[in-house]
Amino acid sequence: MRLDASTLARIQFAFTVSFHIIFPTISIGLASFLAVMEGLWLKTKEEVYLQIYRFWLNIFAMAFGVGVVTGLVLSFEFGLGFSRFAQIAGPAIGPLIAYEVLTAFFLEAGFLGIMLFGFHRVGPRLHFLATCLVASGTVISASWILAANSWMQTPSGIKVKDGHIEVVHWLHVVMNPSWGVRLPHMISAAYLTACFLVSGVGAHYLLQGRYPVFARKSVAIGTTFATVLIAGQVFIGDILYGTMLKHQPSKMQAAEGFWETKSESPAPYYWVIVPDQQHQRNRFAFGTPYLGSIWLTHSLNGTVEGLRNTPRNQQPIMGMVFYGFRIMYCTAMAMFAVGISSLWLRWKGRLFTSPWFLRILVLMTPSGLVATLAGWYLAETGRQPWVIFGILKTVDAISPVPAQVLLSSLIAFVCIYSVFMGAFLYFTLGLIQRGPKDESTEANSSGSLKNAFQSKILARVFDTSATGRR
Amino acid sequence: MDLPLLSACFAALALTLYGLLDGFDLGVGTLLLLQRCDSSRDHTIDSITPTWDGNETWLVMTGITLFTAFPIAYAILMPAFYLPLIIMLLALGVRGVAFEFRVQMSRYRRRWDLAFGIGSVVTSYMQGLILGGLLQGVAITNGEFSGTVFDAFRPLPLLTGVIVVVGYSMLGSGWLYLKGNAEILHFSLKSLRIGTPAFLLLLSLGGLYAASIQPGIRMAWVLHPVSLPGLAVLMILAGGFLTLFPRSVNAIVPLILGFAVILFGMTSVALIVFPNIIPFRLTLWDAAAGSASQTFLLVGAIFVTPIILAYSAFAYWIFRGRTPENGWVE
Repeated sequence: MRLDASTLARIQFAFTVSFHIIFPTISIGLASFLAVMEGLWLKTKEEVYLQIYRFWLNIFAMAFGVGVVTGLVLSFEFGLGFSRFAQIAGPAIGPLIAYEVLTAFFLEAGFLGIMLFGFHRVGPRLHFLATCLVASGTVISASWILAANSWMQTPSGIKVKDGHIEVVHWLHVVMNPSWGVRLPHMISAAYLTACFLVSGVGAHYLLQGRYPVFARKSVAIGTTFATVLIAGQVFIGDILYGTMLKHQPSKMQAAEGFWETKSESPAPYYWVIVPDQQHQRNRFAFGTPYLGSIWLTHSLNGTVEGLRNTPRNQQPIMGMVFYGFRIMYCTAMAMFAVGISSLWLRWKGRLFTSPWFLRILVLMTPSGLVATLAGWYLAETGRQPWVIFGILKTVDAISPVPAQVLLSSLIAFVCIYSVFMGAFLYFTLGLIQRGPKDESTEANSSGSLKNAFQSKILARVFDTSATGRR
Repeated sequence: MDLPLLSACFAALALTLYGLLDGFDLGVGTLLLLQRCDSSRDHTIDSITPTWDGNETWLVMTGITLFTAFPIAYAILMPAFYLPLIIMLLALGVRGVAFEFRVQMSRYRRRWDLAFGIGSVVTSYMQGLILGGLLQGVAITNGEFSGTVFDAFRPLPLLTGVIVVVGYSMLGSGWLYLKGNAEILHFSLKSLRIGTPAFLLLLSLGGLYAASIQPGIRMAWVLHPVSLPGLAVLMILAGGFLTLFPRSVNAIVPLILGFAVILFGMTSVALIVFPNIIPFRLTLWDAAAGSASQTFLLVGAIFVTPIILAYSAFAYWIFRGRTPENGWVE
């Protein structure tokens, strides 16, 4: 692989966007989780909910912070690395991102301060409202950005006139064929991520015998939601498979690992392949016989289309697409197994006391992130060589920036983002190690923190300003 | 209706709000480097923690408005200012995470503070560099950027970088005068007394130098023989009052005067640049996207912006008054 400007621009975008998506996935999931926790606390006044809220609020704040600053980079990177894409696609996806800023970013930013620092400044209801608004902001944000990305996957509502894109129907641009399926797929992925983070931390404490009340609640809530969500996710994933097969056959051809125009009958389901793109074949392939036919065609001897159905200059790189898909799929199956086991253990009354299950939960803590990243690799590498599917190729979209400059900025991103990730992990693991704080000293059961604290603050403020004037 | 003009007005509004609001945030970060005592540093950062995120969002709004309504300009400017933009984004990143990470530890908190301060200075400087580079002129051939990435590092941009750092610090001092405790109040007063005249002096130097190398600026003075000198006089008046204001005035006055100085400056630049979107090179109509995109953007902008301004003001209202001595979370 030559490190020319186009390759470097792609690596830089891939790196920065992969890094970024980790954090919104956490914050979309945790924001809604926090809203549920605060709601339950307001309703039941059980201390443990407030304890869970406060504990995850800290981690949410860090994830949100990293998400904001790495997302800011992306809004400029459309033009920094891919100015020809920006010029052509700006009129179509620009407004979608503008609406994301208008309806989501400001909303999150406006109420995040109250959510994080307003405990003693506003009443509990207004605080809960702030949490809910931040949570809806994350979902609205996901809706717009998924609309923009889905439009790049399945463009519609436009006409191309001498190299420029003109919008004909906004409704078709926003509600393009894949948006309606990819959005719930991503939101569920983010929620599942939060579920496994929460239950993983709970299981960790149960294994250590620390914070039993907090830990049991975390495992109970995490596994319940995870079970419901993974069942839905498998269903949504199946619909999405059909949608992409219809609109982007090349992606699904690459995702299954077959090269021949028609696979053998019955088709195996491949688990490991060593593809040889140049000779359009697999050097090595290992799979389960019959399973491909059964899963993909719902018959015993159906055949599957291979990547040779797509002209060579329009093929994605099979290895990336295939493994993105397999990693996501296998993680999802593991989640499904965890969901089923949790139901069974709950029925047997051993959800909190089976060490093997708790160890699996600890192991599965980052599973949501692994599946989400792998899924995005499937989506984005499978779209190649197109940046806007069927309209603009990625190599034709890059900026007139020299390769050396791109290389130095890439190195800078890798260095600085490594520090971000290192610090995030260090502090998050530190918070988990330290454990949740005891809330009994901090909250009173009446739920109104406002009156108790505000007079104190006002007195102090008054005092400070008085000394300031002297 | 002249849609590109309306979109340009919205972009200008977003940029103005960004310059004023994140201007004081960045200035506060710069001033952090000048403070000697740890408790003052904590207090200084606490003053902006609950509200900084919304201020920075106006930068995204500006960028995305350019991307949406003027994709041709966006596609020229991003590669043209590749280095300053990348450095600015990384510096903003360092600064943003420092907010979250510094509170997680007490041992190395001062290192995060240093990162926060340097990130703020570098961000401000890069924004000034971009402003100077725009006024100096961007090389364009056949609708594409045709200069080198180092074009932005010429004498005028290097000077405007300093001007922006000092200007933002002036706003930051105004903010700290409003929010800080006694010690910070003393510090911000000193920094206003020194910083404001320094800013005006640097700005005059920069203005003269820019006019000497850029005929487009001299032309603008001929085209606006009343408004440009008028704005200059207003700026000097506001700046003079900001340097010499008596301590009996309301604590918010310095911040408002700072806003006025910067606003007059930004209006002058707007007068010089208009009707171009890339100064002296490309008009906003030549860079505009089709009317369908403009309309869709503007509908959202017109209906949603007032709501944003309302709840942003509400957030400031919640955290009104002087910053509590031990921060917002006890």
